[in-house]
Amino acid sequence: METLYILLALFLLLNLGAGMGRVFRGPTAADRMAAAQLFGTTAVAMLLLLAEASGQGALRDVALVFALLAAVAAVAFVRRAWSESEGNHGDD
Amino acid sequence: MAAIPEGPRWATVAARSVPFAGVWWALAEGAPASWWVGVPAVVLAALASAALMPPVPIVWRELPGFVPFFLKRSVLGGLDVARRALHRRLPIAPAIIDYRFRLPPGLARVMLANTISLLPGTLGAGMEGDLLKVHVLDGRHDTAGEIAKVEAAIARVFGMTL
Amino acid sequence: MGMIDYLAALLLLTGAVFYLAGTAGLLRFPDVYTRLHALTKADNVGLGMVVAGLMLQAGSWSVAAKLLLTWWLVMLAGAAVAQLVATGALRRGVKPWRR
Repeated sequence: METLYILLALFLLLNLGAGMGRVFRGPTAADRMAAAQLFGTTAVAMLLLLAEASGQGALRDVALVFALLAAVAAVAFVRRAWSESEGNHGDD
Repeated sequence: MAAIPEGPRWATVAARSVPFAGVWWALAEGAPASWWVGVPAVVLAALASAALMPPVPIVWRELPGFVPFFLKRSVLGGLDVARRALHRRLPIAPAIIDYRFRLPPGLARVMLANTISLLPGTLGAGMEGDLLKVHVLDGRHDTAGEIAKVEAAIARVFGMTL
Repeated sequence: MGMIDYLAALLLLTGAVFYLAGTAGLLRFPDVYTRLHALTKADNVGLGMVVAGLMLQAGSWSVAAKLLLTWWLVMLAGAAVAQLVATGALRRGVKPWRR
């Protein structure tokens, strides 16, 4: 089972790497934020798998913190960092 | 801290301590010694929660019905979007629709707007007055009928009649 | 490996497929709204499957509860954030793609 956990964590990491493409391409800030959201959900799953594979229960706490931080980061982005003029360069 | 109108509502504090204790038990992975910190933490959390959020009139016996209703639909939502995303020709026909709330303003509306984002083909995209803006993946489906079903289920959880 | 192990492995692999679909949607869908659909719904089910698989392997009830709690939090946050980003994009004039 441990091997499966590690392989799946690796697969999720590759998946995350592919998602990076969206961060670079955008085109809108919202697209980049959506990709950052992917980082949150993927990191949580990876950490939970690694916690089980390594017997390090503390990694589950790290997963929980990641879940919270991803949400806080997204809210901070929408409320503070997002410029109001997205539409001007927002279309493809 | 904001003034609490009529002091802490003790029934609310007591009722909310139960789920908070459950959360603590899970967070500490059941370690018995952790309750030395856990009990004060749970009591403080319940006090803060009662001060910040008034009691919500949830009909608890409706929850066992709502959870499977929601889980089934969110799995269907995942399957539907996964099929479209992996399909060679990307079968989508997006549209924005306005859905008129039957729920009264407040928490129930927020819950509906958030819930539909996990259900097949719908994404909450803002509230304006009594209208909920919904981005739908495929405008050819009867989305409004689906949302109405979810709305009715949420109304039952909040003990409302539409 | 016993029955439970096979079931757990099946759930974990299914979860991974949903993650793959979420990323496929993120890369292939034409605008931010459709990408949010893919990401929110597919990753939510993906994490749900991974959590369900790991719960079968969890040594104690409290660990299983913690896994469930983590999923619930991610789900709650994911749904709220998707709505928030979609609302913000619409308000800022990001046009939805149409066929």
